[in-house]
Amino acid sequence: MLPDAPTLPLLAAEGLSREFDLPGGGLFSRKRRLEAVSEVSFSIGRREVLGLVGESGSGKTTIGRMVMRLLPPTRGRILFDGVDLTALSGRALRAQRRRFQMVFQDPYASLNPRMRVREIVEEPLLVHGIDPDPSSRRERVARLLERVGLSSRDMERLPREFSGGGRQRVGIARAIACGPELLVADEPIASLDLSMGAQIINLFSSLVETEAMSLLFISHDIPMVRYLSDRVAVLYRGRIVESGPAAAVLDAPRHPYTRLLADGTLPEAESPLSPASSPEPGTAGLCAFLPRCDRALSACRLTPPPRLSEGGTREVLCHLPQGESSWSPLHPFSQGLPTHVPATPSR
Amino acid sequence: MAEATLLQVANLTLSLKTREGEIVPVRDVSFSLGRGEAVGLVGESGSGKTLTGLSLLGLFPPGSKVDGGRISFDGEDLLTLPESRLRAIRGQKISMIFQEPQSALNPVLTVETQIREIYRSHTSLSSTEIGERILEGLRAAGLPDPLTVSRSYPHQLSGGMRQRVMIAMALSLDPLLVIADEPTTALDPTVALQILALLARIRKRSGQSLLFISHDLSHVRRVSDRVLLMYAGRIVEEAPSGRFFSRGPRHPYGRALLASRPEGGILTRKEAPLAAIGGQVPPLWDLPTGCSFAPRCGRADTLCTTTLPLWSGGEGERVFCHHPDESPLGAPVHAA
Repeated sequence: MLPDAPTLPLLAAEGLSREFDLPGGGLFSRKRRLEAVSEVSFSIGRREVLGLVGESGSGKTTIGRMVMRLLPPTRGRILFDGVDLTALSGRALRAQRRRFQMVFQDPYASLNPRMRVREIVEEPLLVHGIDPDPSSRRERVARLLERVGLSSRDMERLPREFSGGGRQRVGIARAIACGPELLVADEPIASLDLSMGAQIINLFSSLVETEAMSLLFISHDIPMVRYLSDRVAVLYRGRIVESGPAAAVLDAPRHPYTRLLADGTLPEAESPLSPASSPEPGTAGLCAFLPRCDRALSACRLTPPPRLSEGGTREVLCHLPQGESSWSPLHPFSQGLPTHVPATPSR
Repeated sequence: MAEATLLQVANLTLSLKTREGEIVPVRDVSFSLGRGEAVGLVGESGSGKTLTGLSLLGLFPPGSKVDGGRISFDGEDLLTLPESRLRAIRGQKISMIFQEPQSALNPVLTVETQIREIYRSHTSLSSTEIGERILEGLRAAGLPDPLTVSRSYPHQLSGGMRQRVMIAMALSLDPLLVIADEPTTALDPTVALQILALLARIRKRSGQSLLFISHDLSHVRRVSDRVLLMYAGRIVEEAPSGRFFSRGPRHPYGRALLASRPEGGILTRKEAPLAAIGGQVPPLWDLPTGCSFAPRCGRADTLCTTTLPLWSGGEGERVFCHHPDESPLGAPVHAA
């Protein structure tokens, strides 16, 4: 194993926020801005898989892009192995980039259709100056292809000659070419067939176990997130509403939204205030889930929800979390909320 | 059962000219659908499930031709009907809900204009009556503010709302059969579950038959009375939904599909790798001799790789396999 201090996570996101300008807003009217991600903090340890779940529009892809430094955060820091990535640029950033790589959702759109597999996989090696000798580079590409379940005979083939699963393997070979410590995978199996999806998940699992990689697994596939992840963070409208060990969070959710995702028992009608019509996230800091919540208290309409902690491993952003446990507020002073939340029987 | 049969597909075979040569994407497909019954047609991409669904509407892709078989629907043979009669049946007796409501809806017309068109071409209702029906239909599809929705353009609605509009359109003429092709695939998980519940309720109330085409086993389980499993153009198993998901499929492909999801029993990566099916679906222009699944099958022997299986079992519960798996499922399968 790596000789790092065990307490230092590989990746730590601290208070990440990202705003986007909305269309409209003229010369004299104020520009409208949407906060797609608000005050998001999480960490990923070495050899750990963090699942990031949420609906479309929840901000999960934006977070992945910020971690990859493809998109600068409006506020907050991203510490990678203790180094603040948001403060790096140019050569210093490029030097770090080989340590974190991305696997994209759509293997059809993320591979250059005119490049052969060998060229696709060796491109990052060339960019980072790894293996300048052509014949040893070729051998490295062959080893990478075998590592992801392809064969060295596939080197001169074009992406279109592969099925979706085969293309996703090429994308993974490219991502691991420089031996990254962290992979960010954004819906990597959403566009694959069932039997292919399981093969790709097994491949991620073995990269984590045998190459000691860490993984940020962004997905809306709850059973798969529960299978692959050590810990999970649930996003709702740009905020993490619940986080903790994957099995604990998804088997016994505390936040009403997590419960909705995890057991799939839902009112069948479109709620009059479905996400499309509910207020912008962060409106006066109130709970964004309030319009859909069947447990809302009057406190939910008056004060922002507190971030509560349970046993030091779980967190929930809610006035009235479910479960029997006793909760303690993480930031009692900043939130100005009751320090005791009555335990309520789960329904 | 016999007099309650609405649809009977017998030995349907479709061929299609492609760059790789002629392929047979639907091969010897037979099944029936009772009045008020919901059947799930399950398979991966390229299994032939969508083409099977489209052929029930008399819609065939360019370059394809029917090489054999019969489709009898409500007393008529759909394959021999003239186009004018087919057009009347489409919408009125059989309607379809597509995967992508964005591309199935016309982006430059309001919802009302699009639904109005359906009534105009199939009924002689007055304009006011049509207006009332439209609002009624949108409300029944779970849209709480039908007036606003009817005046909206598709892009002004969320994905879930657009799919509800599609459902309202499909049901507007009270058809006998609704074909839903991956209606939940493009939707968020929570929205998908709401749409499934809506489909189930509508069917219970108005007694439509439903052919639910999907690759998502947990969704099929939620809405179907019976399951048809397709692989490489053929139906390979038919079973009551309860049997298929609780005691387990008898076809090794069905078994393997269930096991490739964590709901199949393995719940975390620390326990074991997922039981992924090795290899991939064979290309339709290069199918192996014998059983198409044999090269990926743990139970295959020389019989499987040389000889096509025969059907065993009877109406409603049958399997196309030399060595069906009769053992009960190892672990209970949870619906996602």
